[in-house]
Amino acid sequence: MTIRNKAAIVGIGQTEFSKNSGRSTHRMALEAILGALDDAGLEPAEIDGMVKMGANDDVFEIDLLRSLGLDNLRFFAEIPHGGGAACGTIAGAVAAVTAGMADVVVTFRALNERSERRFGESTVGGGIGGWMQYNMPHGLVTPAQWIAMYAQRYLHEYGHTTEEFGRVSVLTRKHAATNPHAMMYERPVTLEEHQSSRWITEPLRLLDCCLDTDGACATVVVSAEKAKSLKGTPAYIAAAAQGTGTRSEMMTSYQRKNIARLEEAETTGKELYRVAEIEPKDIDVAEIYDHFTPMVLMALEAYGFAKPGEAPKLFQNGALELDGEMPLNTHGGHLGEGYLHGFGHIVEGVRQIRGTAVNQASNVKTCLVTSGTGVPTSGIILSQEAY
Amino acid sequence: MQDLPRPVPRGDRDTAPFWEAQREHRLTFQRCSNCNEVRYPVGPMCPECRSFEFEWIESSGRGTVYSFTVVRHQTHPAFAVPYTVALVEMEEGPRLIAELKGDGAASPEIGTAVKVEWVDHPKQPLPVFVPDQEQS
Ligand SMILES: [Zn+2]
Repeated sequence: MTIRNKAAIVGIGQTEFSKNSGRSTHRMALEAILGALDDAGLEPAEIDGMVKMGANDDVFEIDLLRSLGLDNLRFFAEIPHGGGAACGTIAGAVAAVTAGMADVVVTFRALNERSERRFGESTVGGGIGGWMQYNMPHGLVTPAQWIAMYAQRYLHEYGHTTEEFGRVSVLTRKHAATNPHAMMYERPVTLEEHQSSRWITEPLRLLDCCLDTDGACATVVVSAEKAKSLKGTPAYIAAAAQGTGTRSEMMTSYQRKNIARLEEAETTGKELYRVAEIEPKDIDVAEIYDHFTPMVLMALEAYGFAKPGEAPKLFQNGALELDGEMPLNTHGGHLGEGYLHGFGHIVEGVRQIRGTAVNQASNVKTCLVTSGTGVPTSGIILSQEAY
Repeated sequence: MQDLPRPVPRGDRDTAPFWEAQREHRLTFQRCSNCNEVRYPVGPMCPECRSFEFEWIESSGRGTVYSFTVVRHQTHPAFAVPYTVALVEMEEGPRLIAELKGDGAASPEIGTAVKVEWVDHPKQPLPVFVPDQEQS
């Protein structure tokens, strides 16, 4: 028995993405959730479950319960490991509704990451424990710096240059340029602009790094049975999975055999395809977590769209363009639309399945959405039909 | 020497001996008493044989650069840019993060032979790597 198509995302909600929201994350979470409920045709009082992401969030389900005037949540959970958790919240929601532990589960992410707490900034002082005690005292203190170790090794293993990172940036910003919701709307970049943007931490330049964003997104997950009675067009969840790799750490799994590969994305992908009973070639559109450009290349390889080291070809031959074989990050991703830690990718995945995206790919029946890499991760496969 | 507050390892009941040894300029790893597997990061159990028994061994201090980053955008007051952080594969097997100093540190090459030297930061002396002429 699997969870294949036993649940669906029936509502999505989203605030604007900006550099300064001018309001609290608590308020933005509520706005996104009310939007998602309205989209689904559900009332706030019908919520009986919530799943949130763990790291760097100060909005808790009990805050939302109080504001929404809810009496009880039958199911609530928090998924760890930063951006790796986004699709994991959907997996948790699916587990709850298919097990009968909740009927209407809300998942959300709300951040003032640009105007309040910037994720790319390092913590000053204090004692460091856990896996970071081996990295931070030596000056490896930010996500970009942690990821740079994987990126440098990727270039070395396959003999690529940073132009291959640049092509990820160019394609993603191209899609953001035609998305009015994107922070980088009407602001495409060229490969030359990528190559001349300033170094952050070699081999990563400014245009290899995602944006810091204020905003919120939310989804509503119900059983496939319940979805039939709602007005929102369901995106059936053909698969939802979490995954780890050997010797996992959060962002610094440097002891594993080969750090130019993303083991946790490989394990997540295998499970997704097993549950959905499809193969990588059956994916019509992909929304791949893009905090840093090299990780998109490695993720495309890990999820089976290219052999190790060969993802750059997909950018060179047009396969990932809107009219290509498998359009990628159609909303403009974290690099161009905004960085809601993977939730913008989920919302866009639902729109692609519904056929309502501004950069709509043609004939979309399946969509792969993936979450943060370099950390324990997660993914979902959305489907137009409950096959 | 830097006086600004670097993040310092807190040390817990597993990791404190690792950091205490470094205060005496000794780089140490755990070795399983049952199957001889060297393990790092520090932990209570051998993942190969699940034995709790281990001893501390002293590293030769020699290794090769496995990956690196040259940090050029400053985010932390204690770390003036540019500086290079390397991931060094040690002779004993573990890969260690530490700053790379000396000739070529601004444009290192993967595979370069390096050895440990020590920098006495106020609260916690730390290893750095420098090119190892003997090994290369
Ligand atoms: Zn052992």
